[in-house]
This record gives sequence, structure tokens and C-alpha cells, in this order.
Amino acid sequence: MKTDTLKFQTRNRPFQQYAGWIIGIGLFLLPLIQMDLTTYLTLTVAGISLGMLIFLIASGLTLIFGLMDVLNLAHAAFFAFGAYAGFTVLNLLNNAGWIDTASLAQSLFYLALALGAAGLAGGGLGILTEKIVIKRVYGNHLMQLLVTVGVSFVIVELLKMIWGVNDEVVPVPMGFQDAFIIFGVFIEYFRVVAIFLGITIFAILQYILKQTKLGIIVRAGVENQEIVKATGYNISWIFTLVFAAGSALAAIGGTMMAIFNQAVDPGMGNQFLIFALIVVIIGGLGSVTGSFVGAVIVGLSFNYVAFLWPKMALGVNFMIMAIILLIRPKGLFGKD
Amino acid sequence: MDIKELTSLETSGKKTIQELTIAGIIFVFFIIPWIIPSFRVMDVLAKIMIFTIAVASFDLLLGYTGILSFAHGMFFGIGAYSIALILYHSDTPSGYHIFLAAGASIAISVVISLMISFFSLRVKAIFFAMLTLALAEFAHILGVQWSDLTGGADGISFTLPGIFNFGQTLGTLFNTQINGRLMVYYFILVIAVFLFTGMLRFIHSPLGRVLKAIRENEQRTIALGYKTFRYQTCSIVFSACIASLSGILFAMWLCYVNPDSVFHTAIMVNILLMVLIGGMGTLYGSLIGAGFFIVTENWLPGLLKSIAGLASDSVILANMADRWQLYFGILFVLVVIFFPKGVIGTFRVILDRRHQLHSS
Repeated sequence: MKTDTLKFQTRNRPFQQYAGWIIGIGLFLLPLIQMDLTTYLTLTVAGISLGMLIFLIASGLTLIFGLMDVLNLAHAAFFAFGAYAGFTVLNLLNNAGWIDTASLAQSLFYLALALGAAGLAGGGLGILTEKIVIKRVYGNHLMQLLVTVGVSFVIVELLKMIWGVNDEVVPVPMGFQDAFIIFGVFIEYFRVVAIFLGITIFAILQYILKQTKLGIIVRAGVENQEIVKATGYNISWIFTLVFAAGSALAAIGGTMMAIFNQAVDPGMGNQFLIFALIVVIIGGLGSVTGSFVGAVIVGLSFNYVAFLWPKMALGVNFMIMAIILLIRPKGLFGKD
Repeated sequence: MDIKELTSLETSGKKTIQELTIAGIIFVFFIIPWIIPSFRVMDVLAKIMIFTIAVASFDLLLGYTGILSFAHGMFFGIGAYSIALILYHSDTPSGYHIFLAAGASIAISVVISLMISFFSLRVKAIFFAMLTLALAEFAHILGVQWSDLTGGADGISFTLPGIFNFGQTLGTLFNTQINGRLMVYYFILVIAVFLFTGMLRFIHSPLGRVLKAIRENEQRTIALGYKTFRYQTCSIVFSACIASLSGILFAMWLCYVNPDSVFHTAIMVNILLMVLIGGMGTLYGSLIGAGFFIVTENWLPGLLKSIAGLASDSVILANMADRWQLYFGILFVLVVIFFPKGVIGTFRVILDRRHQLHSS
């Protein structure tokens, strides 16, 4: 709480504060020169939904870093694991023949089932990882980076062992294969679900971090475990749960992405890790708001550029990252 | 790190033993193709040499400077691709193309590593890791998708010029065929020794000592008046160049590159594991790490399969044998947690302890 008020006091330069937003929004209107309004809106909706999916991945990464000061490079592996968990649930439902005939409401229910399973599986794996590995390396960044790389490797190999090395097609509930049209803009239901889920999770995280004591307790625990223990909090379990929550977010993001792309493969984590890393770097390490804004920036710019110059899409994201790093070396919302 | 180690390094007795060991190792690498005329053994040895260089150059960063870069595999790949592309596109490959490739890859590596350090080093070590990881993934995607240049996922195969041409036989000596591959083997040996010596000189130079100081305590080094940023940039650029040269050797040995074999994150993880096994901050450890890893990589899958073959009905067992990389991953985690100093590092600790016991 205290740090927030301080931040506002130091930031009483309204023009500078809003100039960034104005320039940013102006930049996102720029693609209109090259395309007509309908295409632009379609791409914008698609971009925002892609951004929300990326936010789901990045939020877990930034949550774990922001609270526990651990950069979890195994995040991509949790993401892939969650994708496979959701895929398994959907496959089971498909074998029962429920996927192809699902109405929208039923589809939502099945999605909730898949996401729940993925979240539980990801969270469970997170608890295991934290209890066995991560808790031994708190406070040592280099060790954390190294050990999480190793964990990531192990998880991906386990995925290959359990589900095989090949791509699998993910059965998408029938209700999501529909779309509706507003102002000539073609919007798939699944994109709306993705946007809704992204915003909900953003709101929940903001609430927990800003309105509850959890954030303060965990940060205090990073500074001094003994004192927090003395005040009666079981800090080691709180750490475990935060880590599990981050992993669960990754897993949920994995299932969403699996449905979005209608495919899973063991290496999928690394493909999206690059997005998550760019987002976290743009937004500032440890800031959930930063990840949210960063994810929207990356999702939108990726879609616009992929439409205009398909081969440049990822390169442009790198350019944005470089420019933002030049202007603000700690990212848009990074703590100075 | 402390004065004792530095002085003990300079004691002449230890130095002669060290020199003898090095000479012995070089001699073993030199003689084995004549004693054991098996392609597989030669392949393993060549890869050990190549990865020793790659790992040692990575250790310059991780062990001696305390920076974790995931883009190291990328520089390895840049080297490999630069020679592959130059030889593939030249109509009549000749010797100078190899030097051209070396020059090109060094130039690219210098530019990219300067950019990396400029963007990320000023901020935070953890940022550096993230940025380089993103960049490494980007390089892999670029390698796959920019198929006009890189040939996509299919990769590029090429032929080496002159005496290095694999199809060529120059004659036989002591029952061993002297062919292009053997020449490449010795070329790798010479270059590897040269580069390794260069790295040894680098870490024992005043520059290298400043880098060690930065690793131990960056704030203090700044307070002593060193511009740490410049020193770190130096080490990043230097190690990137060496990595790209080792990539050239790798491509020359295989005569083939594709994105998965040089740009994939798995290569980076392998290099990391080799560094960790050998011990961070010990250049000689890179030989042990690379040796252990390559030898295991070559014989572990077969071993596991034969174990799984004993119980041929079990699908799970066959699967477990198939995913032999899993065991490397587990080993990786175990080494980081329980054995963070690696083989050479632990050995040194034991030596130190014994030394203290004797002196007290």
C-alpha cells in the first residue's frame, strides 16, 4: 500500500504520464493507413485475444518473479504440461462423443472442465517442483535459472515419454467453432472467451496483490523468512502455493493455447515462452499490470504485422522490445 | 578467487604437472585415430574437442564473469551456418572460404554480442538471461522459417574444400587411411588447442582477473574504479567469437547443419550441463564435462535399449529407455543442487582442505 501512494506522489507530472499512452494508442491506429476498418477491427479483436492468451502465460511468470524473486524458466514446460492435461480431458470427452455436438453452454462447461484439470495438474506439478527443487535455491538467482532450466528439460522429456513426440490434434468443442458478426467484424466465440478469461484473471491477481495481505507477506518472506515465521505465517507453504498458482496459470494458458491452435506438441512451450519473455521484458519484471499491457501490445502488433508483412511478425516484437528497453531499461511498469 | 589459489597456481611444481597433463591429453587425442581405427571413436573424440571449446567459452561467461547467457548456442549456430552457407553457395570451395567463414562469423558475433550487452547488461543479470533466451528462441525460429537463406528445417549439407574433402584419400600410413575426415580431425585438434590456449591466456590476463573480481563482488569492483560494463562486454564478445569458431568446427565435422542441430535450446542445455559437470569457473573442467557428456550421449541410449530389451514386453520400459535425455535432465538438476562446483571445483576444494590440514 505504502509503495503505491509513494509512486503516485513522485509521478505528478500528468503530461508525461499521459503522453506515453497517447503515443501508444496513436501507434496502434497506424496500421489503418494500410488496411480498411473491418480488417483492422477483426485483427484488433484477434490481437487482443492472442494478447490475453499470452498474458495468461506471462502472468504466472511475473507473479512468481514479482513475489518470490524467482525467475522460473521451467514455466514453458508447465505451460506445455497444462496443454497436454487439457488435451487429455478434451480427448476423453471427445471419445464419449460429447465434443462434436456441444452447444455453446456445453462447450463452456467442457472448457471449464479442461481448464480445471489443467490448473489442478499444473498446480500439483508446481507444488512438487517447489517442494523438491525450488525451495533449495531461494535467494540465488544463478542457481534458480540453472535449476529451472533442468526442471524444464525433465518435464518436456516426461511429456514426450507419456504422450509421444508427435503433434496431436486437439478436439475443439463444437460451440467454439461458431462465430458472430458485429459491424461486419467476424468474431469467434472462443476469442471472446479468451478475452474474458484474461481480464478476469488480471482482475483477480490485482485484487489479491493489492487488496489482501498475501503480497506483503510473501515479499516480507523473501526478505526475511525467520521474522515472517515468527509472526505466525507458514511461509514455506505460502511460497509453495504462490509457485503452484503461477504454474497453474501457465497450465491454464497452455490449455487455452492448445484449443486456440487446435494442436499440442511437446516443444510448444518454447514457442510461446519467447512471447512470454518479450511481454515480461516489455512490461517490467514482476509487474502484473505491465504483463497485461505488454501482452496486449505484443498480441496486437503481432497480428497487424503478420497481416501486412507475414515474415516480419516476430521481428517487429523484438524491435518493440528493443525500443522500450532503450527508453525505459526496466520495462514499462518496472520498479525503478 | 583468493590469493592462495593464485599463488598456488604460480607454484612451478604444480605448473609442470599441469603442462604434462595437457601435453598428455593432446597426445592421446593425436594418437587415438591410429590406435583405434573406428569411426565412432573418432567421432566422439572430435565432438569432445569441439564441445570442450564451446563449453570453455561459455564458462568464460558463466564461471569467470558470472553472467548466464542463453544466446551462446546461437553464436555456435551462427558459426556453423556461416561456413555452411559460404561453402554451399561457392561454386569451387577452396581453403580461403574457411577463413572467410571465420571472419564473417566473428564479425556477426561481435555485432550481435555488442548489441546484447548494450541492451541488457546495464540492467540486471536476470534480465540478461531472459533477453538472451528470447533471442536464442528467435534465432531458432529464424533458422526454420527463413528458408530462402537457411534451407529451413531441412538444413544445408555441403562439401569441404581441398584436403578436407571427405571423399578424398591421400594414402595410407601404418594401416590407417589418411583421408579428408582425418585431416579435418587434426584441423579440429590444432584449432581447439589454439583456442583453448587463447582462453587460458585470457583468464590469466589482467582483464581476466578483473572479470573474476566482478563475479565475486561487482559493487566493490566498481568502487575500485573499474568500469565493469566494459569488462563484461569484453568477455561477452570474446566468448561469443570463440563459440562461433567452435560452431564452424562442428559444421566442418558434420558437413551438415540444420536449425535443430545447432540453434535448438537443447544444445544450450547440453552445454550448460557440461559446464556444470566440469565445474563453473574451471576451464579444464570443460574437457571433463564435454568428455563425460559426449561419451554418455553416445553409449547411454544403446545401453538403455539393451536393458529394456531384457524385458521386451514392457512398453513403459521401452519408452523410458527411448527418452534417455530425461536422465540428463535429472542429472542436471541434481548437479546444480548437490554438486554445484562440478568435478574440478570439488577436487580443488578437497585439495585445499588437505593443504590446510597439512599446514596447520
